[in-house]
Amino acid sequence: MAVNDIVNLSRSQFAMTAIFHILWPILTISLSAFLVLVEALWVRTRNLLYYRHARFWAKLLVLNFVVGVVSGIPMEFQFGTNWAGFSRYAGEFVGNILGFEGTMAFMLEAGFIGVMLYGWGRVPRGVHLFATSMVAFGSSLSAFWIMVANSWMQTPAGVTVVNGRLVVTDYMAAIFNPDMVWGVAHMWVGAMETGAFVIAGISAFYLYRRRHAEFFLRSFKLALMALLVIAPLQIWLGDSSGFDVFHNQPAKGAAIEGYWHTNPPGTGAAWALLAWPDQTQQKNDWALELPNMLSVLGTHSLTGQVTGLADIPRADQPPMVPLLFYAFRLMAGIGVWFMALAFWSAWIWRKTRGSLNSMLQQRKLLLAWVLSIPLPYIAIESGWVVREVGRQPWVVYGMLRTRDAATLLPAGTVAASMTMFAVFYAVLVTTFAVFAYKWLKQGPDLTALPPEFSAPLKLKLG
Amino acid sequence: MSASSHATLTSAWFGLIGLMLVLYVVTDGFDLGIGILSLVTREEHDRSLMMHSIGHVWDANETWLVVLGGALFGAFPAAYALLLSTLYIPVMAMIAGLILRGAAIEFRHPAQFKRAWDIAFGAGSLIAALAQGVILGRVITGLLPGLASGIFVALTALGVASGYALLGATYLVKKTTGRVEQAARNYALGAAATTIAAAILLTAGTRVISPIAQSRWNDPAVFQLLLVLGAISASALAAVVWAVLAHHSHAPFRAAVLLFISSFAGLALSLFPDLVPGRLSLAEAASSQSTLVFMMVGIGILMPIMMGYNFYQYFVFRGKMQLQAH
Repeated sequence: MAVNDIVNLSRSQFAMTAIFHILWPILTISLSAFLVLVEALWVRTRNLLYYRHARFWAKLLVLNFVVGVVSGIPMEFQFGTNWAGFSRYAGEFVGNILGFEGTMAFMLEAGFIGVMLYGWGRVPRGVHLFATSMVAFGSSLSAFWIMVANSWMQTPAGVTVVNGRLVVTDYMAAIFNPDMVWGVAHMWVGAMETGAFVIAGISAFYLYRRRHAEFFLRSFKLALMALLVIAPLQIWLGDSSGFDVFHNQPAKGAAIEGYWHTNPPGTGAAWALLAWPDQTQQKNDWALELPNMLSVLGTHSLTGQVTGLADIPRADQPPMVPLLFYAFRLMAGIGVWFMALAFWSAWIWRKTRGSLNSMLQQRKLLLAWVLSIPLPYIAIESGWVVREVGRQPWVVYGMLRTRDAATLLPAGTVAASMTMFAVFYAVLVTTFAVFAYKWLKQGPDLTALPPEFSAPLKLKLG
Repeated sequence: MSASSHATLTSAWFGLIGLMLVLYVVTDGFDLGIGILSLVTREEHDRSLMMHSIGHVWDANETWLVVLGGALFGAFPAAYALLLSTLYIPVMAMIAGLILRGAAIEFRHPAQFKRAWDIAFGAGSLIAALAQGVILGRVITGLLPGLASGIFVALTALGVASGYALLGATYLVKKTTGRVEQAARNYALGAAATTIAAAILLTAGTRVISPIAQSRWNDPAVFQLLLVLGAISASALAAVVWAVLAHHSHAPFRAAVLLFISSFAGLALSLFPDLVPGRLSLAEAASSQSTLVFMMVGIGILMPIMMGYNFYQYFVFRGKMQLQAH
């Protein structure tokens, strides 16, 4: 088997495990932050409604959390198993950052989740709130360090090559690499947007069914209020990181936009709203274009120069240009829809003064929220496809090519482990769906009372 | 940079990673051991109790492995690359076992058909323990192929699984009452017997198989230290047996932990200054000075804090579990 095929097998395995894994942490990050909010509101106001929200959503968090934990294990070890070349070359920085992620973030989350889930009544309320906060803080910090490592792979800085491997010369430059702030912010806000849509969507589902309407109007309102800030913020962050891509990774920028020929000075670069990019012929088969628009997007000026993909050596072009082109448009389109839905709902909310009865009349609006639940997941996966496929053929942009990073493993071995992961993931996602459905059907316990502190640990078996 | 300060840093990192390994092996060792013991536990109610005894800590315990992996990746990238790529199959088997085990613990509770998750819990724990044993055996034998190495690796796999079963049984003695506690005391005695058999065979095997260990053991200072550690291990094992028979509740687990610590100290002493005997020395595998310092500042400060809140978690859920009828 050719080296390329083995590299592609390992790439497929990494892509599959990463695409599956990211589905879970994004909700853990945002849902745990929401739990901190409702638990803090309960501690402050003594309103039992918030306590019941904390208990209700925590059940979804457990189901989500465990799939995130078990699907996260293969991620760390795959750098060594399938990408030994990368590990040897870049381990000094990437390994260091993953070590920080484990010690600062992942352990914090794991060390307090036991108290958060089983510690009700075993610890005072303030300590419980602290434990919940540490879980939320740990999961966000985890996203931070992972994005530091990933952004550095996009825009490596602060390192020099000695004897064929990287040595860090400037930690601040490596950590605060050009893409870091945008990468971290765009991902973290994306995770928050996901949680807000899941909470709002599930609340809308109950409102639509007219079950526990008053209870869920509260969580719907909280999520909506957050989205009025988050949704526009995310569009701004996306636009800003897109702007930086044209500067830092011109090949990626050109591929995302299906843009082939550098515009001559004094003319503007046209932006293709829709097109079919054909990489073999290095042109678009057809395109629906807006003049000068790409110069505006990529350089914030009417005639700024944007490098065309055909002017970049073929060996340095990312593959699968149509995938990049459409994954990007899918993500951006969903982002715009989110802002529209949030503003539309806020407008109706204002018009009807948020009264329960008038909200219950808004059947179409509620349904739109329910149907939007999968969209943040699709947007985030699309964003990651753009980010990672767009970085190809490099694993460390401009420094280490993907094919030089892979372990030359027997193809059958990688195929076997990939099959194993596929089977596990199918079982995990099915089980999650079954239990999440049960949780949804059961609904919240509207009579639950907080247990008294220092009750002995009681277990309910079965 | 001076060569000697780099060597000191490298040794410090070897020690710190050794500490992470001990923390992982001891804590997740009892989780995995309880999983293994659940395979021979007949009553569903008892299995449920066993799983509940680790429900609040297994995730943090498993996280020591993630911490260990990250630290090894950053401090010794060449070792991380060599070991994981060479040991692809046992590493993937370990991951498979850990996925099964973790999913089973959290998904059994709401499940209607508990039997399937019980099997996943037990089988996953056993697979992970055996795979970790294989990884350990392959490291000690310097990744060499051959029949003698193969037998040695099979023995380490069984040794690690029995050691974990010993930790799991003594932990159950500490956390449970009644029938489960009684069974755990019996398991502890059985696991102590297989652990000591494996330990003796492995020590003899290391002597025969590994030229590196032989030369280390011929160093009188090392040999004396090893004798001390051997004496500690032997006393710890005797203490486990005595404490189990004398119906102590906390002492058996403490003695089993001591046994693990002294065994791993002996192993680390035999390998040093190699990471993979005959294949890779610490110096060859280590990152440069700036990375070792930067990581040491970050992770070194956090180690006591991590250990502190992990200890707090055990403190919150201290004592034997009490059941409520349903």
